[in-house]
Formats: sequence, structure tokens, C-alpha cells
Amino acid sequence: MGFDFNYMLEVLPTLFYASRFTFYLTLVSTFFGLILGLILAVINYYEIRILNPLTKLYLFVIRSAPLIALLYFFYYGVAMYSEFVRNMNPLNAVAIVISLTAGGFMAESIRGALLSVDEGQKDAAYSLGMTDGQLMKRVIIPQATRIAVPSLFNNVISITKMTSLSFVLGVVDVMGAARVQGSRTFSYFEIYGAVIIVYLVIIGVLSVIQRYVAKKSSEAY
Amino acid sequence: MTKNVIEIENLSKNFGDQKVLEDINLTIKDNEIVAIIGPSGTGKSTFLRTLNHLNEPTTGKITVGDVTVDAASYTKKQVQQLRMQSSMVFQNYNLFKNMTALENVMESLVTVRNVNKKEAREIALEQLERVGLLDKKDAYPSRLSGGQQQRVGIARALAVDPKVLLFDEPTSALDPMLVSEVLQTIKKLVETDHTTMLLVTHEISFARDVASRVIFMNEGRIAADGTPDEILSNPTDKNLQQFLNINQY
Ligand SMILES: Nc1ncnc2c1ncn2[C@@H]1O[C@H](COP(=O)(O)OP(=O)(O)OP(=O)(O)O)[C@@H](O)[C@H]1O
Ligand SMILES: [Mg+2]
Repeated sequence: MGFDFNYMLEVLPTLFYASRFTFYLTLVSTFFGLILGLILAVINYYEIRILNPLTKLYLFVIRSAPLIALLYFFYYGVAMYSEFVRNMNPLNAVAIVISLTAGGFMAESIRGALLSVDEGQKDAAYSLGMTDGQLMKRVIIPQATRIAVPSLFNNVISITKMTSLSFVLGVVDVMGAARVQGSRTFSYFEIYGAVIIVYLVIIGVLSVIQRYVAKKSSEAY
Repeated sequence: MTKNVIEIENLSKNFGDQKVLEDINLTIKDNEIVAIIGPSGTGKSTFLRTLNHLNEPTTGKITVGDVTVDAASYTKKQVQQLRMQSSMVFQNYNLFKNMTALENVMESLVTVRNVNKKEAREIALEQLERVGLLDKKDAYPSRLSGGQQQRVGIARALAVDPKVLLFDEPTSALDPMLVSEVLQTIKKLVETDHTTMLLVTHEISFARDVASRVIFMNEGRIAADGTPDEILSNPTDKNLQQFLNINQY
């Protein structure tokens, strides 16, 4: 049984087509992950009472638990007690779990960036009479954004790869489509070779954008 | 009689168990140019920062211009009002890194004082011209030398027309080559402006040159206070004599 190049070319379009779920999940998780990450990071930055220890616990869980365990726990475990989860389609379930995970990772990136703004900048803002809100809006967020963008981009790349686990809940994404093909033809070498190619292309494009954005932001000032 | 622009009563500041400022009482009149000297770690910076409430006093009452903040009870609003009476020039310049020189000078006018952009811009350009940096108006701090950054810092402080200018060792982070351009800028200010100034400095000869009054701080207290002549030429305090001996060259 030799390497069937033509078969590989044949499955590639199917896999690329299935990557629409990869894009969808990445986009949605990045969006909600950013919002959640920002909230968590701000709680941590201001060390808001009660919420801050909860945030730390949350981050610890997200960092420690394997994604696949979180997916199963949510989709099969939580479903036992929640009608809402029971009726949820797998795609949305994955989007929720990956968003929650992404929020944790992005919180770390944002937190680091917020902390990187030095005390002198705050002294200057306060001494000019700025309020905490003005300091945040005019000084900390603009400066932190520049610092955060490269690491947030790394988070996006991780998220993209995380979405490849969505097939375990039955989403027919790139991995899901590969599994369907595999059960039909057993040509695993060609199929998973093609899967890797699909991810190389997606991540490759993201990396080019990342490098461009990083360059722009480092030139900004 | 000129009126007091700064009044400080029983000011103390602790960092944890460490007493950094102990029971400071001081009044400063309009137009005085006060140099504050003293050994390292005696609380000169802390003192200046409490005037701006960048360090929260442990006890005491601080009045700058027509705003009083009493450590025993005060509001956020009062603190903000207090800060708006004075402007601070920092040892490390502390220009906003995400803003150009011009934007730095405009910032508090626009954001804090609600001056419209056009007017703020005119004021800022005027101030940049005063410190000789009009040609650098669009440069970000990272593209400016230390001396230039500090001159922008001075322009930023001047833009709001403060009642008091606070300088915390404005030249001590600078290359020796760049010190004089900043000292010259300050000297010009003293000659043309009539703003009250408090200047923490290690430049004794500069203090003698520009100050109308010199305060010697030691171990969190005001150990000597008088004219430059009294303090620098005829010191009576033992610690002051010692300090001046070390700082003479
Ligand atoms: N934020 C802070 N937390 C704890 N201790 C501090 C803090 N800021 C200053 N101190 C301490 O307070 C004391 C006075 O410091 P300060 O910076 O006011 O001295 P200084 O007279 O300005 O010295 P220098 O001439 O070196 O600038 C020092 O012992 C310093 O370690
Ligand atoms: Mg100091």
C-alpha cells in the first residue's frame, strides 16, 4: 500500500471546507475570550475584594484542567443537571468551553500588559489631576494594548489549535472530517498528513498577520 | 504682605513602621523659590509627593493654593482639587509614552480641565516654544534625549498655569552633558515667571544661584530653613555642615 498523493489532494478540499468550523470557533472564542479576559484582568489588576481570589481559582482551574476534560465535563457532565446544556448543539458547547478557556489565557496576557505600565506613568497622570478612569483610558489601556497584542496573538493561535478537539463532541471540523474519511478509506497517512497541511496554512496566515501587527505596534512610539 | 501659597501643619508620613516624615510644619509664600536639600533617604521626595498626594500623608493638614486636604478626613474630589493647584516635574520625566511631546503638554488641559483642543494646542505650542522644543512637538518621548524629555516635562507642568511648581531632582537622571540645558530652562523660568517653586536638588551651587530660600531636611524633619546665605554660606546645624562638606567640590 503506497502513498497515494492523489487521494491526499482529493481530501484536502473537504478538510478545508470543514475548517469553516475552525474559523467560526476561533472567531467566537477570541471575541468572548477577550471580553472575559479583560474583565478577569481588571479584577486582578485592581485586586477587587472577593472577586480577585475567585478569579485566581478560575485561572488555576483553566490552566490545570485538560481541555478535553472540560469539554466532556460540560457537554456530558453539566448536561445531566441542565436542560439548557442538554439541548445545546455540540458546536455551541465547544464555543462556550473554548471561550471560557481562552478568557483565562487572555486574562494572563492582558494582566501582564497592564502590570507592565510603570508607576511613573501613573504618578504623572495623578499629579495632573486625572481620575482612575481617565488614567485607565488615556494611559494604561493604550500602553498595555501595545504590549498585549503580540501575546494575545499567540493566544489566538493556541485557540485555533484547541478547536481541533471539537470533534470529540461530534463537530465535523477538520479533525472531524478526517475521522469520517478515515473510517471509510483507512488511509490515515494521507488524511492526517492533509490535516496537518490545513493547520499549517491557517496558522501560517495567522503568523504573517501577527508579525505585521507586532512590527506596527513596536514602531508606534 | 504676600499671602501663603503652601501651608503644612503637623505633616507625618510612615511607610509601615518606618517614619519617613515627622511632624513637618511649613509655610511658603507666593513667589518663593525654595530649594530643598539633604542627604539621600531623608524624605525629600516623599515630602514633595505628599504635597501632590502621590503619597498619602499619615497625619497632617496640607494647603496648596486654596485647597486644603486633612489626612484625618478628605474626599477624592479634594485630592484632585489639591493636585490641580500644583504641577510636578519628575526625576525620571514620566512623560506619557503613548503621546507625542505636544500631546503630553496638551493632555491635562484637554482631559482634566476640559479646555477645547484648539486652545489647548495653542497653549501647548507656546509652552514648547518656551522650553525650546517646538521643532520636537511631534516626537514621541522614546525619540527624545533625557534633557529634551525633561524640558517637555517642564512644559507639561507649566501648561496648566499652576500656583506651585514641584521639581524632584529634575536633573539627577541626566547625563552630565545634559544637566545644564535643563538647569538653564529652570533658571529662565525663575527669572521670567512668578510661580512659586519647590525644588529638591543635589546641585548646591544651582540652589545658591536661583533659590530665595533653602530648606535642609534630615531624617524626616526640617533641620534648617533660611536664606541661601544663612543655610549655604553660614550653616550652624552640625548635620548641615557635614552635608555641605561632603557635597562641596
Ligand atoms: N513607596 C515606598 N514604600 C516604602 N518605603 C518608601 C517608599 N518611598 C520611599 N520610601 C522610603 O522612605 C525613605 C525616604 O525616601 P525618599 O525617596 O523620600 O528620600 P529622598 O530624600 O528623596 O532621597 P534621595 O535623595 O535618594 O532621592 C527611604 O528610606 C525610602 O526607602
Ligand atoms: Mg528623592
